[in-house]
Amino acid sequence: MVTKAKKLKRMIKSIWIFNWFNSCGFMDLIPVVGSRWDMERFGMIVTGTPRHADVLFIAGYQTSKSIKRAKRIYEQMPEPRVVIALGSCSMTGGMYWDSYNTIKRLSDHIPVNLYVPGCPPRPEAVFEAAEKIFQHVLEMKDE
Amino acid sequence: MNEKELIGELKSEFGIEGDIQRDRRIWITIEKENLLKVCTFLHKKNFEHLSTISVTDWPKKGTYELTYHLWSYLDKIFISIKTEISRDKPEIESLTQIWNGSAQIHERELHELFGVVFNGNPDLSPLFLEDWNSAPPFRKDFNWREYVRGKYYDRKNEREKPYFV
Repeated sequence: MVTKAKKLKRMIKSIWIFNWFNSCGFMDLIPVVGSRWDMERFGMIVTGTPRHADVLFIAGYQTSKSIKRAKRIYEQMPEPRVVIALGSCSMTGGMYWDSYNTIKRLSDHIPVNLYVPGCPPRPEAVFEAAEKIFQHVLEMKDE
Repeated sequence: MNEKELIGELKSEFGIEGDIQRDRRIWITIEKENLLKVCTFLHKKNFEHLSTISVTDWPKKGTYELTYHLWSYLDKIFISIKTEISRDKPEIESLTQIWNGSAQIHERELHELFGVVFNGNPDLSPLFLEDWNSAPPFRKDFNWREYVRGKYYDRKNEREKPYFV
């Protein structure tokens, strides 16, 4: 049985991230990766494959084509997995609210744990979201 | 070869009046039946690069205007070929037999955005619009805002009411 404590223990060492960004999405996270805010000091590393990742960062608008790929990435991630959606595009469509080809609400398609608002979100907000991941793990069910 | 020589050759070969807009920039307008002939002729004249194909929608005239942009690396001449096709039955000869790779992807995109059928193109499957089931979105009479409201928003939802104002 995988308990909450075990899940938390697995994750608390460090958060490994997989990025799935469309359009200007990665602009949001460049300062977080860079030396000024430097997410690696908290052990947050960007992995090369979703199979190694704990957290999926999704930013920017998802098109009807790319959401299928996002779903596949989500399904490849091991449990416990957390999805954090960055930016206003993933919440409401943002400035693309009347685009014929973009997904308006990300949580209609994959389960999102946390939305980080902003266009783009501040690096501090991204860190606060990363901190709240542990709280979400505590809320998860035992398997 | 310079622009004037090229225009002279086009005139003697096909009877086309070319227009030199400025240095190294030529516009010609042709019938759609001549497209393949003219393009084969130009390809032999070292126009190796098909930069892009564009479609302009003229709903009042009832036509699509196709523009092919060609570039010659040897002579440094940019030539744009304009031709018109019917809007209701948009069909034209594909240029994949001349510029294979670059023509194929442009034609595929224009097929999904405007519904133009390129006869002879081996693959016209959707490029960006997977599972698209409506009119081609770049046509001017396609009301995309109405389409989006119908597909993504609910008027009865209190939070989504502002999208219908």
